[in-house]
Amino acid sequence: MKTVIVGVHLQREDIGTLAEVVPASGLFLSGVLVGEEQPLGDRALLLRVAEVRSRLLDRATFIAVRYGFTVRGPDEAAAKCAEPAAAWRALLQRHRDDVEMTLKAAAAAPARRPDRTEFAAGADYLRALHAAASTIDVDPSFRSAAERELVPLATRFRWLRETTALELALLVPRGRVEDVNAAGERLRKAFASVPFLLSGPWPLEVFTHDDHE
Amino acid sequence: MAEEQVEITLLETLDHLLDRGVVIAGEATISIGDVDLLYLGLNIVLANVDAMIRTGKR
Repeated sequence: MKTVIVGVHLQREDIGTLAEVVPASGLFLSGVLVGEEQPLGDRALLLRVAEVRSRLLDRATFIAVRYGFTVRGPDEAAAKCAEPAAAWRALLQRHRDDVEMTLKAAAAAPARRPDRTEFAAGADYLRALHAAASTIDVDPSFRSAAERELVPLATRFRWLRETTALELALLVPRGRVEDVNAAGERLRKAFASVPFLLSGPWPLEVFTHDDHE
Repeated sequence: MAEEQVEITLLETLDHLLDRGVVIAGEATISIGDVDLLYLGLNIVLANVDAMIRTGKR
């Protein structure tokens, strides 16, 4: 059996009975236990992990682990998590009451996404992807309004560029989630012609490294 | 919630699941073949959602 890891938690009680608990370096990993031969690309498994992730966030803030990481028991988990454990603990303690929210606005002129098969080296592909995304922007007045409405509600914010969208990631106290949604509605009324998606709350995903802060 | 909104919410959830969060001990999700294939498929769906949003149906 193997455990598909969902997140990193400060306390065992943060997971409860919602998922498997794997102790690791003084922290606790949540996960979904599956058979050794279980393909990770299975749609039912993916949806199950997504549901567990959502329910865990209702319980307490945690650090999201990108889908695809599996462990086979606490020893492997401890070995793989030993190095970042102290930083994760500090992050979880600092942002115990925060969640992330994201505003994703479609680009005014989407860039062509590079075709991975046209590159012999992964590094060249990533450089091309970065170059394509760096040209992306949205209506400047929308961007200003989004910052004016949303940034004051956030503890931290960060703009992220993709090839088809510009995204505003926000770290928000849980008590302000509804205020962010209300600000999103005001933006929707003021900028009916700008398509965007305000989503969340999400676990700690973007604001997981010191260099982002 | 409208069916269209449920679909977009689900796609956004899967996008976060597959593309966000910490990567542990050098594990690269993109190297896992079946997930990569699934993600490519998801990108096609997301592109359709983008197109739908751009044409103002939402």
